[in-house]
Amino acid sequence: MNDLDAALTVFIQEAEELLIQMEQGLLLLEETPSDKESINNVFRAMHTIKGSAGLFGLEHVVAFCHCVETVMDAIRKNQRAIDKQIISVLLSCKDFCSELIEYNLSNQSPTLPERLAETSNQLIQQLHADHALISKAPLDKEPEITAIKSVLPEDNWLIILKFHTNALRNGIDPIAFISFLKGKGSIVTIQTLTPELPIDFSFDSESCYLQFHIVFHTPLAKPDIAKIFEFAEDDCDIRLLPPDSKIEQYLKLLQASEYDADGVKEIEKLGEILTNIGALTASEINQALQQQEQNQAKRLGEILVEQQFTEQVVVTQALQKQESEREKASKAANYIRVDATKLGRLINLVGELVISGASINLLAQRYRLTELDEAAAHMSGLVSEIRDSALQLRMVSIGETFSRFKRVVRDVSTELNKQIELVVTGGETELDKALVEKINDPLTHLIRNALDHGIELPEQRLASGKPAQGNIYLNAYHDSGHIVIEVADDGAGLNADKILAKAIKNGLVTENQQLSQQEIFNLIFAAGLSTKDQANNLSGRGVGMDVVRKNILALRGAVNVTSQQGVGTTITIRLPLTLAIIDGFMVVAENERYIIPLNMIEECVEMNASEWKIDTIKHYINLRGEVLPYLRLADYFQNRTQHIPTDHRESLVVVKMANKKIGLVVDELQGEHQTVIKPLGKIFERLQGVSGATILGNGDVALILDVQGLIQHAMHDTNTSYQSSMIANSY
Amino acid sequence: MVRLRSENQQSSQDDKSLANDAYQQFLTFLLGNQVLGIDILEIKEIIETTRITRIPKTPAYIRGVINLRGNIVPVIDLSARLYQYASELSKLSCIVLVEVELNHEMHMVGALIDQVNEILDIAEADLLPAPDFGTEIRIDFIKAMGKVNNEFITLLAIERILSIIELAEFQSITQENNQQFQTSEVSK
Repeated sequence: MNDLDAALTVFIQEAEELLIQMEQGLLLLEETPSDKESINNVFRAMHTIKGSAGLFGLEHVVAFCHCVETVMDAIRKNQRAIDKQIISVLLSCKDFCSELIEYNLSNQSPTLPERLAETSNQLIQQLHADHALISKAPLDKEPEITAIKSVLPEDNWLIILKFHTNALRNGIDPIAFISFLKGKGSIVTIQTLTPELPIDFSFDSESCYLQFHIVFHTPLAKPDIAKIFEFAEDDCDIRLLPPDSKIEQYLKLLQASEYDADGVKEIEKLGEILTNIGALTASEINQALQQQEQNQAKRLGEILVEQQFTEQVVVTQALQKQESEREKASKAANYIRVDATKLGRLINLVGELVISGASINLLAQRYRLTELDEAAAHMSGLVSEIRDSALQLRMVSIGETFSRFKRVVRDVSTELNKQIELVVTGGETELDKALVEKINDPLTHLIRNALDHGIELPEQRLASGKPAQGNIYLNAYHDSGHIVIEVADDGAGLNADKILAKAIKNGLVTENQQLSQQEIFNLIFAAGLSTKDQANNLSGRGVGMDVVRKNILALRGAVNVTSQQGVGTTITIRLPLTLAIIDGFMVVAENERYIIPLNMIEECVEMNASEWKIDTIKHYINLRGEVLPYLRLADYFQNRTQHIPTDHRESLVVVKMANKKIGLVVDELQGEHQTVIKPLGKIFERLQGVSGATILGNGDVALILDVQGLIQHAMHDTNTSYQSSMIANSY
Repeated sequence: MVRLRSENQQSSQDDKSLANDAYQQFLTFLLGNQVLGIDILEIKEIIETTRITRIPKTPAYIRGVINLRGNIVPVIDLSARLYQYASELSKLSCIVLVEVELNHEMHMVGALIDQVNEILDIAEADLLPAPDFGTEIRIDFIKAMGKVNNEFITLLAIERILSIIELAEFQSITQENNQQFQTSEVSK
């Protein structure tokens, strides 16, 4: 890869990031249109992309970005109102921009293909079409004027501007800044210096040799003044020296901020402290930091004072504060970016450690070495702690995934002429990184469904006495070793009759079958069923819900739907927290060992076979007055229909899944076992009843039971043999 | 021409390179009383049988899974796969490990055999195409017929026999079950 290629990669990455920032900025603007920061972010994104694209000669990108930038500039200067419409256009501009970059990179031809050119023109037209120019909006000048009066005359800022020689060529107009300053306060004196003006022929009429010392009177704070010059940062050295009264204020602020509400504040860097109280601007800090890099020996504080960015007293005070904070919070939270493969390797190793720990335990027990047994017990305690914290490393909060759907909801609701808001809760809930990636598609699907099928049109909503705006709720929380994700809407709810009619039509059910409402709702997960009369580009083709279910089952999860007509639908997804290691419970059935996930186990009951009063027809027992269906594991796995009674004691493991309980009859209980899940491989990918395997301390392989799959499989088998009494209220 | 490897172990370097050009090496083994061969380039390693864990509800040709240095590897009962009757484990039973490709990923699969015989060099000229019919095993499982001492040894297309997609076909049964399950779930 040559240098240009490397730079290009950086450009692409940067552009992607900027475009994402732009999107976020636009979405924020939609909520709070006056948010200056967001407007600036959007503007800056376009500006930067334009600049870098120019470097690589991506002319089309430059041309397009320029148009967007112009509009954003107008918005920035309050010459143009910002409304939903323009945000929509800008969002499409963002999408188009990334398309354009992609095209332009692979294709340098001077003319755009028709399709792109057309879109480009359309967007540019839309940008200019609703030219809702604000006729110099009646700004709230009044309070400012009174504020100025209240400021004492000696409270003057000294602004030193040293323009670079290239300033004029880069389109910076010094006069514009000075006249803009007038609007923000009053200029007491202004002094123009020209120390760099050449007196010989090297004078260039296009170069700028001007420097200004302005004594400026304003109630504005330092960051606000700096913002005025933000645009010229690259072409001008700026010094803002505060009036004396300000310095006092800064010192007070420093003292005040020392005792924060919770007292566990992170240690701030000197620069951060100073910017937070407004004594420095971010750009000044950056400049100073750059200088520090060149001149390692100097400390940041020295540079700041030397460069007249701020006063010595302020720096001293800030340093003192920093020191005291550092003492206070020695356990500062900071992040390290780690390669995911390194983490994966660590987790694998921890897995191996768990296995060898188990084998040491086994040996210690076999040879009855009490001391070793104790040491081994201590070690396995440590190992399980290491396991937990290693797994914790992979945990990420689901919030980022959730926030991605904001755009989906926004776009689709506009397209469908619906008013829909996405309400996100529980974004801080953590789950395994691998799961986050896999859950994205099913969630997208469910949300699209809710948008399209769930929420009604505003008129319909008003007619049925609901507010015009519909809500989609995304929620996540932890529940006994699982993460539960809910996608809910307050829309029309599922129409049971319609689903049933469709299912009968598709041959999924016969007409004389009696179904509970829950059973009918679960039909939406069957392939080929859509109640939408007409398919559109969003949904309604009847594929999807079955894929959602399949994907979630593949993650050892479960999906369930509840709905009330007219009130809304809630789809609940249950997923295991991690894919790597579980706490298991080992049982033996006909010399094969099986692991049952511990969190599924309700209780274990040991009984003599004669107490069971089992015959070959009934496969349920009376457990303290409850009807409990059971499977005799060995018989079931060997496909034996008849049980050969034996005299030895058997045990019953009661497992619970969602709200169903079944019993598993096994020969022996072997106790808890930390189980490292190993995949069974492609051949057994969708084998039901077994979710994986693990390697025991002695090197043998034991299978991990998939309780949910077992229940389903058993129900299927029972149904085919017409023993429908087995599970009273299924699934 | 056939040479037993043991007789030719001292053969010169030149001879070997010649052999590489004109000969292919096959591992021959017993399955019941049948002698079969596999191209040794396809074989990753051969191990003694360890404890094989049965997998419930799978067809007979899936013997189970083993622990191969920390990885779970499926073991196929070659006899059940080819002749529909299961191998009986003995002291001579071995597992031949083969890597099979699926979607550009290599998957390790073991094949259970009754006894390892020898390694044969068979001249390319002696590799004959499989007959169109009349074989005991599926035609597409045969790579070639090797002529050895005027007798034919069936040389297996092991990649084909251990094709993950085909081995996993029983999944489609479970899938069907799933479909039925959905309807039957409703039928109550």
